[in-house]
Amino acid sequence: MTKETLDKILKIVLIVGVFTLPIWINSPTYLQILILLFFYAYLTTSWNLVGGWAGVLPLGHSAYVGIGAYTSTVLFMHYGLSPWIGMLAGGVVAAIVGTIIGIPTLKLRGAYFALATMAFGEGVRVFIENTDKIGPFVLNGPRGICIPLNESFWNFQFMSKVPYYYIILIMLCIALFVTWYMSRIRIGYYLNAGGEEPEAAQALGVNVAKYKVIAMAISCFMTGLAGTFYAQLMLYFYPKAILGLDFSFEIAFIALIGGRGTLAGPVLGALILRPVTDFSRIYFSSILPGLHLVIYGLVLILVMIYQPRGIQEPLNRFYNWILDKVTGNIEKKGVKS
Amino acid sequence: MRISGFPPVSAVRENEVKMDFIIQAIVSGTLMGSIYGLAALGLTLIFGVIKVINFAHGSCLMVGMYAAYWVVTLTGVNPYLALIVVVPLLFFFGYFLQDIVIKPVLEAQSDVREPTEVIIVTSGVWYILDNITLMIFGAEYRVVQTSITGKSFEIGEIIVSTPKLYGLIATIIVSVALVWFLKYTKMGKSIRAASLDREAASLMGINQYRVFNIAFGIGTAIMGVVGCVLLPFYYVFPTVGVIFDVKCFIIVVLGGLGSIPGALIGGIIIGLIESVGAQFMASTWTELIVYLVFLAVLFIKPAGLFGEERDW
Repeated sequence: MTKETLDKILKIVLIVGVFTLPIWINSPTYLQILILLFFYAYLTTSWNLVGGWAGVLPLGHSAYVGIGAYTSTVLFMHYGLSPWIGMLAGGVVAAIVGTIIGIPTLKLRGAYFALATMAFGEGVRVFIENTDKIGPFVLNGPRGICIPLNESFWNFQFMSKVPYYYIILIMLCIALFVTWYMSRIRIGYYLNAGGEEPEAAQALGVNVAKYKVIAMAISCFMTGLAGTFYAQLMLYFYPKAILGLDFSFEIAFIALIGGRGTLAGPVLGALILRPVTDFSRIYFSSILPGLHLVIYGLVLILVMIYQPRGIQEPLNRFYNWILDKVTGNIEKKGVKS
Repeated sequence: MRISGFPPVSAVRENEVKMDFIIQAIVSGTLMGSIYGLAALGLTLIFGVIKVINFAHGSCLMVGMYAAYWVVTLTGVNPYLALIVVVPLLFFFGYFLQDIVIKPVLEAQSDVREPTEVIIVTSGVWYILDNITLMIFGAEYRVVQTSITGKSFEIGEIIVSTPKLYGLIATIIVSVALVWFLKYTKMGKSIRAASLDREAASLMGINQYRVFNIAFGIGTAIMGVVGCVLLPFYYVFPTVGVIFDVKCFIIVVLGGLGSIPGALIGGIIIGLIESVGAQFMASTWTELIVYLVFLAVLFIKPAGLFGEERDW
């Protein structure tokens, strides 16, 4: 067996395993942890489109999660519109807002862009926390919105966790496919070039700002979808939970630790860091609140100092080393016998 | 509502009252704004030299406030006397923070003018500092009763809070001292040289990392001053830095990153928006106005009021 076939087999096993996981896991708690894990993986993959490939540092992505969640929920509560359609509407609104914010700010240098997106994210939080109603639409300010229970597929509400699991898994697969596809067409190369050397890329006639705005719009669209998913999963959300600095930073941190600008990085980051968050919240929250954030910070600094491309690089190397070792041994055995 | 025994308030009198309120708001806004400006001064100094936004800046303030809090509660001294301990402490804190944590990343990214990796590292420092403080001291809001807590005096109809007035005085002293230091001392000149052109400065025999360490140390030492000044009238809690962090970012962009007068004037503008705006609307809405002003400045004049064009 060669290394490539083993690699393929392992990947197929992984995919089949992930898709059949709900059969083995009955506990809704663990399923919820997995759903949130994929939710974060999806969010960081969306963030990565602009934060990784475009080489800037957006620190206000929670604003688009909030926009998505509020748009679909308000449409559902007010007009009875299915959240499935509301999801797309939320994504479109998020993309439009992202474009409006992106056009002037993406021309700015790194620090300015980070600060602008951060201020925008905080501004959205303050706005929603202080708004009870926009016209006829109820936002409930800091109290948040409780979505009335009415279980049906059309209402995007399920009693079991399993449908949510498959929805977010498919969303994650689509996000990964979009990232992969974008890295293979022209825009991906332009973004990569513009992210590393904006001046050089511009000198070669690439309209860097335009492609960055496109990446920003796609990223915001996908982030908006995640907002609706969160709202439907929890059926209750409030500004502090889905808006604000902490959430924005968590998205960015996971992607950065995993490896910005790579396909596997954000997923690996979520895979490794989310369990840390969940378990430290379960076991240490009463003794040591904030422990998981200390761990995040420490890992982040160490990764930035020793592995600026993220933990996906050493993990990749380790995976290849294992593959070599295993296939090497198997081949040797084959020669002997 | 009419209170019995008082004459009905006439329309003219109402206007006068309103005017008084606004003058009062302008005075207290300027005083508070000058403290914001002082906090932003440290950030702008660090950015001017290292070209890095220090996301851990607010956390340094938090460290300064806790240091001041413990000095004052344990020894019972006046908070302004605590400066003698807190400022050197914060200077070395910043010095070694830069030397141990940020320098390795800077060295790896030495060819990039504005390395984003360093922003990320400083935000990691922010998370660690805030949450370690949360783990050690808990989430409760602490207040310290000092001899000048709640003291104020009146000029005409205007009430001036004494601790905030000391804040304004501290801002003036620190900014004058900083400008003098940058203009007339050898180290200050090295700092300015390194901020203009790192390579040329190194060629002239300036050890750029030592300059960075000292600039960072001064930036955090200023936060020590802010911590002591805030102590008599502000709560001490683990995430106190975040409030000032976001304000400082807005102020430095408003005034122009790297500009000292920009930081002070930006601070006063934010202070004025907050206190004058609060006369017309709920104070939470003034926060939104601050963000709107910030975004407007970024869109219209990204270099800020006093910034240099090339920096953005």
